[in-house]
Amino acid sequence: MRIFNRIIVVLLLAGLVALGIAAIFYAFDLAGYRLANVPRLLGLDGFAQSLSNFVGNVERGNLNPLDYLVLGAIALLGLILLFLELKPPSPRRVRMQDGTYITRSAVRDEVVAATERNPEVLQSDVDVNAQRRPGAKVDVTASVRRGEDTRRLQSEVRNSVQQHMGQVGVPVSNLNVRIAESDPRQTQTRVK
Amino acid sequence: MIDDLQLARAIREAALATTGVHSMGSGRYAEAATYGAGEKVSGVVVDPDEVRVHIVARYPLAEPLPALAERVRERVALRSEGRPTTIIVEDLEVEQNENL
Repeated sequence: MRIFNRIIVVLLLAGLVALGIAAIFYAFDLAGYRLANVPRLLGLDGFAQSLSNFVGNVERGNLNPLDYLVLGAIALLGLILLFLELKPPSPRRVRMQDGTYITRSAVRDEVVAATERNPEVLQSDVDVNAQRRPGAKVDVTASVRRGEDTRRLQSEVRNSVQQHMGQVGVPVSNLNVRIAESDPRQTQTRVK
Repeated sequence: MIDDLQLARAIREAALATTGVHSMGSGRYAEAATYGAGEKVSGVVVDPDEVRVHIVARYPLAEPLPALAERVRERVALRSEGRPTTIIVEDLEVEQNENL
């Protein structure tokens, strides 16, 4: 959302710069003194005309179903943006206790180590998300050879990660383990 | 009343003297440091109402990380002039003589 906000602000500032330049042109009479001529000078005559018609229709209450749809979509978009703006950002670090945090990358390294301790796991892909409550949300995808007992491996990897994180002292509030059957030629490790 | 830089230096020394702390962290998204004239103290951020200490823990761990963080907090609290202290474990560093 912050990136989206930044894009919006950049576009807004770009618009203000363009308006400022247009105002200078206008002040020095470089393009005539009629603002109505600006769309023609910019080559946006058709767009300005259709926009003017649309606004006129809104003022007169003379809208077709497509206009209602566009206005509804704009209102909905505004509501979604407002909600996302008001929503507190998710924390960047994993909370262990009050005033004690660990970075997500450190948690990821520990989970990878615990997962790849299993000799049948050729590669692991770990995603760690911090939450507002203590503990991390961890998604593990472990790649194994085709034909392995995935249910047993899923249980083993889960136990291994839970046990290791328990020893390290990092609470894991949500652990999802997925076992993916992969071609060993496409994984980081072919043989263990 | 000591200035922020002196405070940061004292806190850094206290943190590094804690068994289990390998080094000070440097921050992930922005540099974690306290700045002064011609000098900065990395790993400690002294704010008017909070002190943040970024550490790298020594691996293998002799105790769970929350216990280590608590010991660092106890040591640091003596020097942080009553400001709340946040401990951030940035990484775990394997000792060179460990074959892990």
